[in-house]
Amino acid sequence: MSKGNRGRDRSAAKRIVEQQKAAERRRRVTIWTSVGVVAVLLIAGLIGWGVLANQDDSGGSTPSVAVDEGTAFAVGSGPVTVDIYEDFMCPICHEFEKQTGPAIAQMVTDKKVTVRYHPVSILDRTSNGTKYSTRSAGAAAAAAVDGKFLEYHNVLFENQPAEGSDGLDDAKLIELGKSVGLGDSFATAVNDKTYDSWVTKATETFSSRGFNGTPTIVVNGKQVTGPNETLPTTEIFTQAVTAAAG
Amino acid sequence: MDLRQQPNRLAAAWPWISTLARLGLAAVFLIAGGLKVTDLAASARAVNAYDLMSYDTAKVIGAVQPFLEIALGLLLLIGIATRLSAIIAAVLMVIFIAGIISAWARGLQIDCGCFSKGGELTGGRTAQYGLDILRDVGFLALAGILIWKPRSRFSLDGVLLGER
Repeated sequence: MSKGNRGRDRSAAKRIVEQQKAAERRRRVTIWTSVGVVAVLLIAGLIGWGVLANQDDSGGSTPSVAVDEGTAFAVGSGPVTVDIYEDFMCPICHEFEKQTGPAIAQMVTDKKVTVRYHPVSILDRTSNGTKYSTRSAGAAAAAAVDGKFLEYHNVLFENQPAEGSDGLDDAKLIELGKSVGLGDSFATAVNDKTYDSWVTKATETFSSRGFNGTPTIVVNGKQVTGPNETLPTTEIFTQAVTAAAG
Repeated sequence: MDLRQQPNRLAAAWPWISTLARLGLAAVFLIAGGLKVTDLAASARAVNAYDLMSYDTAKVIGAVQPFLEIALGLLLLIGIATRLSAIIAAVLMVIFIAGIISAWARGLQIDCGCFSKGGELTGGRTAQYGLDILRDVGFLALAGILIWKPRSRFSLDGVLLGER
């Protein structure tokens, strides 16, 4: 065996050892980084779960006059129950009020229907962080406690701010309340946000009933929509009420 | 000569292509998670709108998902265990795509909630399921590149393995 041959063998052996070392290192890095990734994702998931668990115990007062598991305000005393879920920021809700509101008012007068208005807050994100949906629904609850829900409900829609704007501020909400005869106790409730956490709970109930959008209109437990889940016309709505009355 | 150089040039380009894919996918998850994490109730409603599970389950998914997305986005950003991170990202994308297809097939009119709080669409707005799916397939392709070629520049993996 020549000297050169032995040298070549040795360098080949060295290369193999180095390759094995590199492979070993790669394996170790892969294992530990994978463990790290899984751990980080598990912790992130647990944080989300923890935040949710801590959110659930939202206290707050339920408005004394609320019906239907404390989620709605009833108007009228007719045999057919109409549930209307609305967000005061929602333009389509305003459209529905303009279009079908007068017919509903007539049905209430004629003692045909009991309307249960459910204010919900699903559009909080569209008021630049001022949470207009929650604030306006909370104010409506305060108006209900002082016996002026429908009046205040109507004036809120008449003065509906544009989606994506800051919404009306609390002072304006109180001013609108004064315009329909609400007084100091209403103003205090709006300023103290007495019913805002109740709005969150009522919105949860809305979601847990499987509803996702506003307005949701339900006649005697059956949701009423136009073709292709569009807003029902006054005619479709009236037909549903007539059918429910039997 | 050209024939022999072409593959070499491509081999040199792969780490850069993978870097772009990694950072792009990281941005996707960070933005998607960041938009949802500030309003977990809305995130729960977005999940609930798919009508695939009870509201209580949707609430848990809606709360956990944004945190997972942000964590995965950060992991991809620093480039740790890139292949595994990319596999998890791909699995999530497949789940999202399946969800959208199922909503489409059932004729639901919802916002997919991919980059927003989602929910039901009302009054004339129609769902853009085709576009949503196409976009998610694009993201899936980014994850695919990383699963195939996980080595990328500016990654913690590279530092740990002593690459430059």
